[in-house]
Amino acid sequence: MLTDPQDHLAHQFPLEGELRPTFSGLSDFLHRVEDMIVKELAKNAKSHAFDGFDVNWEDQNETVSCKHRLQHLVAQEKGLHVTSISWSCTGSVIACAFGRVDDGDWSAEKSCVCTWNLDRRGLNPKRPNTVIDVARPVMSLSFHPTSPSLIAGGLYSGEVVVWDTNRTQDPVLAQTGMSTDAHREPVYQVAWVPGQRRGEMLVLSAGSGGRVLLWTVDGGSLVLSAGYALVRQQVPHNSSLSKGRGSSNVGVTSLALSPWDSDTFLVGSEGGLVLKCSFSAQELAAAPPDGESVALRAPAQFSFSPRGGPVHSLHYSPFHRNLFVSVGTDGLARLHSLLQPDPLLSLRVSDSYLFGVRWSPTRPLVFAAATGQGLVQIFDLGRKSLRPAATMDQLTSGQPAYCMEFNPCQTDLLAVGNADGSVNIWHLSTELTEQGHRETAQLEQLANEVAE
Amino acid sequence: MAEVEETLKRIQTHEGVIGTIVVNAEGIPIRTTLDNSTTVQYAGLLHQLTMKARSTVRDIDPQNDLTFLRIRSKKHEIMVAPDKEYMLIVIQNPSE
Repeated sequence: MLTDPQDHLAHQFPLEGELRPTFSGLSDFLHRVEDMIVKELAKNAKSHAFDGFDVNWEDQNETVSCKHRLQHLVAQEKGLHVTSISWSCTGSVIACAFGRVDDGDWSAEKSCVCTWNLDRRGLNPKRPNTVIDVARPVMSLSFHPTSPSLIAGGLYSGEVVVWDTNRTQDPVLAQTGMSTDAHREPVYQVAWVPGQRRGEMLVLSAGSGGRVLLWTVDGGSLVLSAGYALVRQQVPHNSSLSKGRGSSNVGVTSLALSPWDSDTFLVGSEGGLVLKCSFSAQELAAAPPDGESVALRAPAQFSFSPRGGPVHSLHYSPFHRNLFVSVGTDGLARLHSLLQPDPLLSLRVSDSYLFGVRWSPTRPLVFAAATGQGLVQIFDLGRKSLRPAATMDQLTSGQPAYCMEFNPCQTDLLAVGNADGSVNIWHLSTELTEQGHRETAQLEQLANEVAE
Repeated sequence: MAEVEETLKRIQTHEGVIGTIVVNAEGIPIRTTLDNSTTVQYAGLLHQLTMKARSTVRDIDPQNDLTFLRIRSKKHEIMVAPDKEYMLIVIQNPSE
């Protein structure tokens, strides 16, 4: 008869100080096995029987190779850049957003979102499976974490849209439109966050207007559910901030959600700020009200030491709750602990700008950085040398690589979106994807070091 | 009962031991040094595996029986000492 183990646990893991239930024969049993177990433990601790013994369950992949080079000719002809990419939750589909990252008034430029199903037979890298036409450049993209057909996107105009690729007629499921609640400036980051009710997902959008907004899907509209405004005067000071010109809004260029703590998120700004924020912050934002239907709150709680230029990408470590990495225009990758303002480590990745950074989903010590010269550099913090463990040339004739995402299911695939309008799918070597023996411990050691 | 706790403590403090779990005949953990969810996972899975290992040994030779089970993985070694009423599971990180 099967009993639910959870019920028994409630009774049988007593708290300190309470009497433990007696089990007849338990003492005798332990008496019988103790010697044998201790003998084996001692032998094991000294044994060299398994030294250097490795088992190959998977095919060993020696090299890093480019599996696919995806292109949408129409977008390339218009000179559009890939601004953002996202994998579907099943890991089969890659979506990319087209827009432009350079300066200039191209707000009226039409663009699109394309998807390719890499697992489908007859994949044509030059022909996307789906092309969604969008009236304005798309700056950010995010697939829904459980519904493989829903994609959220942030536009240059400040609008946020959710598309359903299953709909044949009009793929737009919901949008913010140009309401008073919407962003007025480009939306550089969109993400899906869990809502209050079970199974509910909200769309989070953040942009250069300094607003971080949460939307619910309601009929054909995205309705503002909560909002935050980042204002310079409300940023916690613990190091000197450069006196910026003009607006007191802190323009958001990157955002990272914590996989460890659903209340915390990180924000990187145009001015080089890196801020730790909280969804449950109560303080009202000092921004003048602009007809929003929800009172905006000030989310920033902690400032990390600022950088010399816009922070393009942030990523929490999937293996350590206090670590994150940030990159920006200064060409450095900075490894931070959430517990202190100064970085633990600053790595010179490139002489050019860095646009993206992602931790490996399988190797705690490995992260990848995308450079303005069209290279993706992979670093292994376990190595003694600070030189990259691998360099992947995106073959863009020197044009930048803007965004990167690891496949959530096939974790040895890395997609990179480039300024020349191409998306390269890379297959990483076993060395870069198979976790080493003491990696988590080494990462823990790194995290506990205090910066000078 | 102090004897039980002392024995378990001696085992737990041995070099490299990550966790110690005692499981009853139904596969339900009754003592552990690990957190709840990890304990439940180990207890359930190893109970099943130990029963399978035991029936394998006895199918090959009905006069034989399982005395000890060890699983060596990349990260550590799991040792199971089975018995009629209880099972002791010890997870060790061997020296490298």
